[in-house]
Amino acid sequence: MADTKTPNKKAPISPKKIRIAALLAVMGPGLIAGLSDDDPAGITTYSVLGAKYGYQMLWVLVASTIALIVFQDLGARIGVVTRQGMIGLVRQKYGARSGTLSASALIVANIGTMTAEFAGIAAAGQLFGFSKYVTVPVAAVLVSFLVLRGSFSRVEKVFFLVSGVFFTYVIAGFLAHPDWGKAFHGVVTPTMPFTHDAIYIATATLGTTLAPWGLAFIQSYAVDKRLSRDDLKLLRVDVWTGSLLTGVIGFFVIVTCAATLNKQGITIDDASKAAQALKPLAGNLAKDLFAVGLIGAALLAASILPLSTAYSVSDLTGRPAALDDSPREAPLFYATFGSITLLSAILILIPGAPLITILVVSQILNAVLLLPLLIYMYGISKDKRLMGEFVASKMMRAIYAIIIGVVAIAIGCMLWFTIFK
Amino acid sequence: MKKAPATGINSVAKRLVGRRDSVLERKNIRDSLVSVAGSIGRPVSDLEGRNIGKLVDVVVRHGEATYPPVSGIIVKVGQRKSFIDAKTISRFSHDEIRLSSTKINLQEYERREGESLLDADVLDHQIVDVNGLRVVRSSDLYLAPLDREIRVVGVDISFRSFIRRIFPGAVSRRPTPEHVIDWASVASLADGSGVVRSTESRAALSQLRPADIADLIEDLSGREQGALIELLDPELAADALEEMEDDDLLGLLRGLPSDRAAQLIARMEPDESAEILRDLDDDHRESILNEMDLPIANQLRKLVSFDETLAGGIMTTHLLITRENDTVASALKLLVENRERDVSDGVVVVDAKGRLLDHIQIVELVSAKSSAELSTLIGPPYPTAISENTRLKEVIEEFTNNRGSSVIVVDEKNKPVGRILADDLVDALAPANENSSFAQGGGAF
Repeated sequence: MADTKTPNKKAPISPKKIRIAALLAVMGPGLIAGLSDDDPAGITTYSVLGAKYGYQMLWVLVASTIALIVFQDLGARIGVVTRQGMIGLVRQKYGARSGTLSASALIVANIGTMTAEFAGIAAAGQLFGFSKYVTVPVAAVLVSFLVLRGSFSRVEKVFFLVSGVFFTYVIAGFLAHPDWGKAFHGVVTPTMPFTHDAIYIATATLGTTLAPWGLAFIQSYAVDKRLSRDDLKLLRVDVWTGSLLTGVIGFFVIVTCAATLNKQGITIDDASKAAQALKPLAGNLAKDLFAVGLIGAALLAASILPLSTAYSVSDLTGRPAALDDSPREAPLFYATFGSITLLSAILILIPGAPLITILVVSQILNAVLLLPLLIYMYGISKDKRLMGEFVASKMMRAIYAIIIGVVAIAIGCMLWFTIFK
Repeated sequence: MKKAPATGINSVAKRLVGRRDSVLERKNIRDSLVSVAGSIGRPVSDLEGRNIGKLVDVVVRHGEATYPPVSGIIVKVGQRKSFIDAKTISRFSHDEIRLSSTKINLQEYERREGESLLDADVLDHQIVDVNGLRVVRSSDLYLAPLDREIRVVGVDISFRSFIRRIFPGAVSRRPTPEHVIDWASVASLADGSGVVRSTESRAALSQLRPADIADLIEDLSGREQGALIELLDPELAADALEEMEDDDLLGLLRGLPSDRAAQLIARMEPDESAEILRDLDDDHRESILNEMDLPIANQLRKLVSFDETLAGGIMTTHLLITRENDTVASALKLLVENRERDVSDGVVVVDAKGRLLDHIQIVELVSAKSSAELSTLIGPPYPTAISENTRLKEVIEEFTNNRGSSVIVVDEKNKPVGRILADDLVDALAPANENSSFAQGGGAF
């Protein structure tokens, strides 16, 4: 840095370069929280949607992406303005009971979801011939080691690297030679068969894209990244990019399955089976790319989930929670992280554990938890004392209310079908 | 007031809190503690025992009193939230809240200057535990009669009390005084405009080290940060700001009103102020500088304009300048007046035209006759003088060559304009390593 060639003037850096550097410094919360929503459960849902309904229901993904953009944007803004995580704010604004209930539901749901991520790793690992007794412990150790030993910026860099894996889906999508015209039609025309299965998968798509742990994560992560109000404009770019990429990757997963499995009339019930079914239809490379993407997706989500839980628990109890803190400074934070990871890894490795029940229960819990969390966020967004000049405008409040309404109807339908089917 | 026998941690706490015995040690107070969290939502009855509504919140008046008195309660009567003056409360226990009158003013409560709501502003919010040097959330607050008023006397920060509150019924209301700590030992940051402050917690805060305060500030959320700053003496606040990480400090300054930010920045070491001002956007920087006294603002403007890779950009402009015909006594007096500053290891001597002659160490001054003129002390070793446009690399070379602890920066007319101390160099070099693992090792490893 001392090596300036023109000592009498400031180093000539173009304003454009400065803007890009500033953007890169702010980037993270939106990108990471968004992409981690494309976890194995998400990929599975998208695969099923594409395999069963072809291009027809792509618009559901578009709608989910819009909801994701709106609420991730709100979550990030709340985090930056109040410098508090979501659960802490819920405790502060809605009282001890609401805070504890939300946190407890989040913990249980996150353990279930974390188990699903490990299941994804196990399934994808088996495609390459690795036993789950190898892949799951390795993944658990990798994730814990990263968060325990890394500083904030190092952890973030690893997250970015892992996120790169998602482009395998884009390539796999092209290898499958989809019908782009039909895909475009499916994106812009909202039609669907009114059957139980179709409504269920539409709701599942919304639910897997807009996940409670993702919302809790983006807010706490923005706090931990110590972003300030001046960063809000750039943060919006980050959130939009992250959410749009999440949608784009979902799009490619759906069209891959639509172009191959749906065309051949093959139905699947899990993403690793989708990868397997791709082999004769789109080639070995497509299958491998799909499987590698699945592992990357699982690893990213498996790091975010315990982190999101640890932030929330520390937040509820008002104890320190920062990746830059040492375990000695923030024992509760790291203990929560460790327990969630360990418990989920054990659950997936116990022979004969009721995996399907765990996955279904955590999915229901996520759905049930999503609604109050969105309502709390709505309440916080219009609280002048908390948000100050960043309080939500009438227009934004209306948008939030519409999305919450749609989510409520969808969740109602989903619960109905899950419990009374 | 009698002094309590000092033992262990307690004695540290006592010293921090002040000379007062905790009111919580008085038996009558311990026995009459009422949990605020447990009282919210409880029925309020009038003189004749008729239920008139439910308790919504407790209003306290804050000022210099260590234990803020309750000025009234907010009761939900029908659809209204009415304010009831504390004078009409005849009984406030965890079993019942009873009024001494049957007449209630049904006016909707509106926030007033100098008041805080215990449930809405303090309970479950972040507070500073001054003894434990940490930011915590309050799990419960306790009221007790003291000096003929109901006052906030204690706060509970334990997790167990927090969990107690989620249980239904009477369990959630039972006071657990064993976890209560004296209100005087916390700093509640209830509201930016009206902080629940006490002289005791202020005194306790003023005894903390600037670095500890910096840590506390970094742990607080946005609005509370400003509130804590308000509690501090400006000099101490400025010292704490110097200890903060650049990113955190920037975030903090953005959240403060310009006049307050100006007040703090003006008290920081000029080179540190310039560094932080340089990172703010132009409009914000100007609005802060406009709030300062003109000479300081101009000096800072000049510093900000320097490139950070040149001597002018890293130097501190705080110099103790003396004339060659000044006496040793006056130079020493100047040093004593500026003992807080980190440049006070000696004085700079200039000639009648303000040109640099020498830098005289404090040791030389002390050993000289106090009536002697400074000119008699001028002689080798002379200080190293460099121009404002010297590059950082060359500054480092000068340091290595002369093995001194500082160099003096002069303008084109050889007038001293600043000094670079070894720690300024460290500051200038540190950001270059920001992204390497070396610089981050301290945090997580």
